[in-house]
Amino acid sequence: MPDVSFPPIHYVTVVPHLIVTGLAVVLLLMDAVSRRSRAARVGQIASLVSVIGYGAALVSLLFTYDHRQVTGGGSIRYDYMAIFFLIVMLSTALLTVLVSANFVQLQSMSLLEYLVILSFSVLGMMVVAIAGDLIMVFIGIELTSIAVYVLTGFSRQSRISHEGALKYFLLGSFATGILIYGMAWTFGIAGTINLDAIRTAGASIATGNPSLLLALLLLVVGLGFKIAAVPFHMWTPDAYHGAPTPVTAFMSVGPKAAGFAAMLRVLVNGWTPAADQWVPLVIVLSVITMTFGNIVAVAQNNVKRMLAYSSIAHTGYMLVGLASYQVGASKMDFNGRAIGALLFYTFAYAFTNIGAFSILTWMQARGRGTNIESFRGLATTAPGAAIAMTIFMASLMGVPPLLGFFAKYYIIVAAINANLTWLAVIVALNSAVSAYFYLRVVAVMYFREPDRQIVPQRTSWLGLGLAVSSLGTVLFGVFSGPVFDLARKVLL
Amino acid sequence: MDHFPLLSVMLYLPTVVALLVLFVPRLAPDTIKYAALFATLATFVLSLIVVFSSQQTASLRWEENYNWLPSVGIRYHLGTDGLSTIFLLLTTLSSVIALVASWTSIRVNIRAYYVTFLILETGMLGVFMTFDLFLFYVFWELVLIPMALIIGVWGSANRVYAAIKFFLFTLAGSLLMLVAIVAMYTEYFNRTGTRTLDLNTLIAIPGGWSHTFQLWTFAAFFISFAIKVPMFPVHTWLPDAHVESPTAGSVILAAVLLKLGGYGMIRFNLALFPYASHKFATPILILSVIAIIYGALVAMVQPDMKKLVAYSSVTHMGFVTLGIFSFNPQGFQGAVITMFSHGLVTGGLFLCVGVLYERAHTRQISAFGGIANRMPTYASVFMVFMLAALGLPGLSGFVGEYLSTLGSFRLANKTYAAITMFVVIFAAVYMMWLYKRVIFGEPREEHHGFADLTRIEASTLLPLVLGILYVGIYPVPLMKLLKPVIGALLAPIVGSGTAAAAADAIP
Repeated sequence: MPDVSFPPIHYVTVVPHLIVTGLAVVLLLMDAVSRRSRAARVGQIASLVSVIGYGAALVSLLFTYDHRQVTGGGSIRYDYMAIFFLIVMLSTALLTVLVSANFVQLQSMSLLEYLVILSFSVLGMMVVAIAGDLIMVFIGIELTSIAVYVLTGFSRQSRISHEGALKYFLLGSFATGILIYGMAWTFGIAGTINLDAIRTAGASIATGNPSLLLALLLLVVGLGFKIAAVPFHMWTPDAYHGAPTPVTAFMSVGPKAAGFAAMLRVLVNGWTPAADQWVPLVIVLSVITMTFGNIVAVAQNNVKRMLAYSSIAHTGYMLVGLASYQVGASKMDFNGRAIGALLFYTFAYAFTNIGAFSILTWMQARGRGTNIESFRGLATTAPGAAIAMTIFMASLMGVPPLLGFFAKYYIIVAAINANLTWLAVIVALNSAVSAYFYLRVVAVMYFREPDRQIVPQRTSWLGLGLAVSSLGTVLFGVFSGPVFDLARKVLL
Repeated sequence: MDHFPLLSVMLYLPTVVALLVLFVPRLAPDTIKYAALFATLATFVLSLIVVFSSQQTASLRWEENYNWLPSVGIRYHLGTDGLSTIFLLLTTLSSVIALVASWTSIRVNIRAYYVTFLILETGMLGVFMTFDLFLFYVFWELVLIPMALIIGVWGSANRVYAAIKFFLFTLAGSLLMLVAIVAMYTEYFNRTGTRTLDLNTLIAIPGGWSHTFQLWTFAAFFISFAIKVPMFPVHTWLPDAHVESPTAGSVILAAVLLKLGGYGMIRFNLALFPYASHKFATPILILSVIAIIYGALVAMVQPDMKKLVAYSSVTHMGFVTLGIFSFNPQGFQGAVITMFSHGLVTGGLFLCVGVLYERAHTRQISAFGGIANRMPTYASVFMVFMLAALGLPGLSGFVGEYLSTLGSFRLANKTYAAITMFVVIFAAVYMMWLYKRVIFGEPREEHHGFADLTRIEASTLLPLVLGILYVGIYPVPLMKLLKPVIGALLAPIVGSGTAAAAADAIP
């Protein structure tokens, strides 16, 4: 029997992951031992435990920050990119718990079960963030995807929830197949699954090698599904629309960040030498993604569906950061800023988009729909919610000095740095188009008379979530310097 | 004294008061109004301090220059020179007047209105005092949302359409400007290895900006400013915005918002892109003359008083761009004084229309006649504004238009000046015709109960009348403020030697 030995792991690099795993176990145990009659109370406690757990994981990053290294035989890369993505993912998780806690119970779904599945999904995302080889990328992506399929169909009484979940599941599995096929080709060409080794091996592979091109194509297509890039977005509108609104908030941000993390790991850390071949792919993808997303969003009357298409458009903006990657050692600083712009965008999008969806959740908790007409006169009936929604819409639109504006600004700077001024102009024109449908929500809230009063409802978790996301959108915008400074170290 | 952050205090005072008003619960409407009045009055006093502390140099006063986002070279850079000072004064004065004009005419959502109004003031002041392109863009955009809200929430019947049109027009322009700003940032970094968006640093780029680069960036900046001015043919948002806006909104729109465009052209287009300015001067001059003629002709046939005044703005702003792109001191002085005077005059005209609208609830010219019999004081005040608008000597409108035309007359091609001189007569036609139809004629039965100006209305109109007389009779203080900066502003365009000589030659 051959000797199996495991490479040593510096456990300090996976402290956040261990904390979240512990959280998942605790939540599972709570589910096992608690009595069903006390579900509501236990659900509240579980929310608190989740908040503490994710918070602790976030705080632990402060202490492990200086222990950046590659460990576990090269399968774990704990670097700046990992740290930044962990910040984004854990903030997403925190905000999602805050947004979900009241709503899930109001819809008589099991909150505890929900939080368990959520924690596994977050864990999967966190695995992608520290992935040092293709297997880690794959495991992380699958862990997060499967949990999100379940969450999408979590509203058991709702048919559109089931429809969305099934579509997401079928297309998602298909995409997974393509992704793993791309990884197999990568292994075939490079002879390794380790990202650093792929980078080394890739240097000696001739440009235009057809099997390399095929591998890249398969990888980009497979991950394109996960980040909802056009033309691999078909599942997005239905899944986003069907899922319970807090889940939509989570999946429009979390799995997307994980998808981008995977893309950066595979393309930027792994296939660095083939950048001249995947950059054109990404450029094409970014242009059609943002343009399609914005144009279709214009025609939507349901705000939830509008935000689904706008989420596609924002994927397109983020891809511009990756498209601005330039070949050559002298471009190190530019590339750090370009990829950093993408990272910053995921951060900005987390606060802004979860905020926007939490307003939808807030409305639904008060018996309103998500149709644009439900927003009529919200400024009169609920001024606070209207102000918060205005902040989120303005941030998505890219109005200074909010978070969303800086995200777009850094993206535009990256594109122009890479001599892609035309791409920057397309981003600007797309922003102008998008202003129409974001502004429409604001206009309906402020310019139309309310048709009925808001049903009062106590949603203190949600209120806290709204406060955090709106303050984050404003304050991280005005003081975006430190965040971007961390983001642009991504390639170090 | 310059170490005191006077500009920051002035800039954020309205916002701070706005936040207080927003978050302190259970405020009586009157408390909100007085708080807002205090904020605007205090800003006005601060702007007077800026005016009286100005010196005869081109350098920036009250400068504040700190790192904001060091890794991308963005600075928090405020300052003021003669040009800025004039517009700061105009902004704070117009804000006080517009605020008083809202006192009784805004009846719904009072808290939201004054919060929006005060934030708008911060945005406008910010545009006129920043010397970092990024910060400039931030304030430029900040103006947009409150203004659209004021039109869209407190406006009249078709307000939503007007608000969205205004927003989309302006946003489309400014996004192109953003790309141009980033392009300059990148180009400067590639050339010098420094990351900066500081205006004066960018102007002094070693070797100047390359010619093709200038053409593109000039166009991007210019389109954005031309939409705000607005120049023919991108003026179509203006009549809608004015007609639907509440009176105070129209005042702010006419007095300050349109000036953002003219100010931007002087401060950014000419200084940063001298080559492109020369290249584009001819088409811009032609468009200016078209705007002067077109605005006047269209104004003549308007049945709605507000629309008439709105189109007359297109004409007046045509004089502004004509003066700017003549590239000589007289043209510059003319442009700036026209803008200042237009702020007073057109603001006053909108207030006058508002006075009648409050009483008759219509703005149709045909609905009025013989108002002089019912409201004699009003009729005489209206006359001052009317005469100032058509450029009667001794009132402020004349000074600016005269200098602008003089500036264009000093160009090699006299056609622009000749055509402009000829069409000035149209201004007299539409303004006097308006006055005749509304004020004179047989008094009407339905206007029987009309009271003359109330105390609040008089208090908004009187400062404007005094301002118009003062600038019309003795424009020297404005010219003195401008004189030291004109040389500096012209230097990149005509060469520093010629600019200095030309600037010395003016009074």
